[in-house]
Amino acid sequence: MTFIVAPVAVLIGAGIVLALIDGTRRAAGVVAIAALTVATVMLCVLLGRVAADGPQAVVAGGWPADVGITLRVDALGAVFAATSLAIVLACAVQTVLRGVSSRITLALTVFMGAGLTGLFLTGDIFSFYVFFELAMICAYGLTAAEGTEGRFRAAFTFAVVNLVGSFLFLIAIGALYRATGTLEMLAVAERAAELNPNTALLLAVTFLVAFGVKLGLFPFHAWLPAVYLAVPAWIAAMFAGALANIGAYGLVRFGGAILPRELGVAAVAVIALGGVSIAYGAVQAMSRRATREVLAYSSIGHAGYVLVALGLGGPVGLAAAVIFSIANSLNKALLFLSAELRGPLTAGVFLVGTLSVAGVPPSAGFFGKAALFEAGVDAGSIATVVLLFVGGALSFVYLLQIYQHDRWRPREERDVPTPKEIAPRAQRTVAAVVAAVVLALGLWPQPLLAIGDQAAAELTVEAPR
Amino acid sequence: MRAGPMVRLVARSLLAPSFAVAAAILVKGYADAGDGFSAGAVAALGVMLQMLAFGRERVARDLPLHLAPRVAMCGLAIALGVLIIPVLAGGAPLEHWPPPGEKPIYIGTLELITAVVFDIGVFLLVLGACVAIIDALARARAAEEEVA
Repeated sequence: MTFIVAPVAVLIGAGIVLALIDGTRRAAGVVAIAALTVATVMLCVLLGRVAADGPQAVVAGGWPADVGITLRVDALGAVFAATSLAIVLACAVQTVLRGVSSRITLALTVFMGAGLTGLFLTGDIFSFYVFFELAMICAYGLTAAEGTEGRFRAAFTFAVVNLVGSFLFLIAIGALYRATGTLEMLAVAERAAELNPNTALLLAVTFLVAFGVKLGLFPFHAWLPAVYLAVPAWIAAMFAGALANIGAYGLVRFGGAILPRELGVAAVAVIALGGVSIAYGAVQAMSRRATREVLAYSSIGHAGYVLVALGLGGPVGLAAAVIFSIANSLNKALLFLSAELRGPLTAGVFLVGTLSVAGVPPSAGFFGKAALFEAGVDAGSIATVVLLFVGGALSFVYLLQIYQHDRWRPREERDVPTPKEIAPRAQRTVAAVVAAVVLALGLWPQPLLAIGDQAAAELTVEAPR
Repeated sequence: MRAGPMVRLVARSLLAPSFAVAAAILVKGYADAGDGFSAGAVAALGVMLQMLAFGRERVARDLPLHLAPRVAMCGLAIALGVLIIPVLAGGAPLEHWPPPGEKPIYIGTLELITAVVFDIGVFLLVLGACVAIIDALARARAAEEEVA
């Protein structure tokens, strides 16, 4: 039980300290890394316990379950929380080792970690919203930190578009409360089955749009490339690897567990939207020259895969959505962390990332794609399998184009200047560690697959169709 | 930019009452349990009125504006303490003391319960954050005026 509250408390405590001291000092780096490490370890322990003993819950204030706010963690929340925070930790380590340039970035990073952790560990929709806003506000701040004009512009776009998404989400929460009389996720899932189908469908669509904006799904993606291009690589890695998980988690949680009937009704539309996202992301990625931009559009494409898996539905589809999301967030973090490094090891590390995104074994990405194929075959949907295959082939093309434009061409002929100087060893080591994790999950995927299956099983048991 | 004498007179004479009202809301809110958020907002509005009437520099001389971020973080720390101390003592997070049903300590009509401590934390957080934001905006405005 302590492990549900403690990670958030540790992170908020460290955030308070970091907000008061100068974040560019060495001590600040130590505090941030220590807090993130402690919280990540706690979340891994929590993940182990959930995997062994099933979901854990605690009601705040010791109130009866329907009065107090429930903090509840199941396999889905635990695996997302542990992965996201581990990625935030890796990104923070990389920037601390290189030297932090703005006094506020570390505080914002740690508070964002607290928000991310909190939202994956709560069983109450309103506190989910609060943690979600905490993470998003810190993300806006991180985008604007250092205050150059380009960063401000990106942060403004980011904040405005995402506040519209948050606003829709808040409206949907209000409507859900009006319709079901509760905001406790399990209770909502039970009562949602008796809702007027029109009301429920409207709610489901609003939630889909709200999370689509966060995830950067076509056609709600406009903010994403601008932001990923403006911020430093480590912040882009956090956004793509950890913050985007909010969208994937929200879609699985609200679509798969809370409103599964509506997801079933809209399955074709959801798969179509996912397909368009995959195609659009891939085509745009192919047309871009800068590595960062290619990766940003590739994220839009990968958001589509999550949606397709959800549309396929059932335990296999949900498990595929979870496995793919986790593998994908590791891939994206790895690519963003290593794309702009030069020096020994970095080419190999980046190669691991590209092959993992393309789905070449042995890598975590292979099992992500394999789970999607399995879901497509299981649902007997030939169109989906073709879509996944074409998407995979396109991702090969744009990933190899990164090599074509950024690595193999003579330096003076490149459209976008690439860094020349060799990165510090510490930075390269962080990227190498993430690459090792991606490879390890490719060689021994059992834990990832098992937790995905467990998450899907828990979701489908909780919400009988 | 300077406001007229009437506005300045009213602004100055409203500062103390706005803090008094904030304190009242803090301990006895709408439904009698206290409301740190509204109290913080009311107190911050009092400060903002001073800035509008007298300009940021004059207010910074009278009020410790530079402490605002620290006040906010102290508030957050207090609220966090109320969250985790019960957990350390083996209870649920945010658990009340004294527990429901038991008679709390009274000072006059003021009940001493952990919810009040939590609200004081929220009050400091909202007051500190609002004043810090207003101050940042005022400073940016002053810098712009200097350039112009």
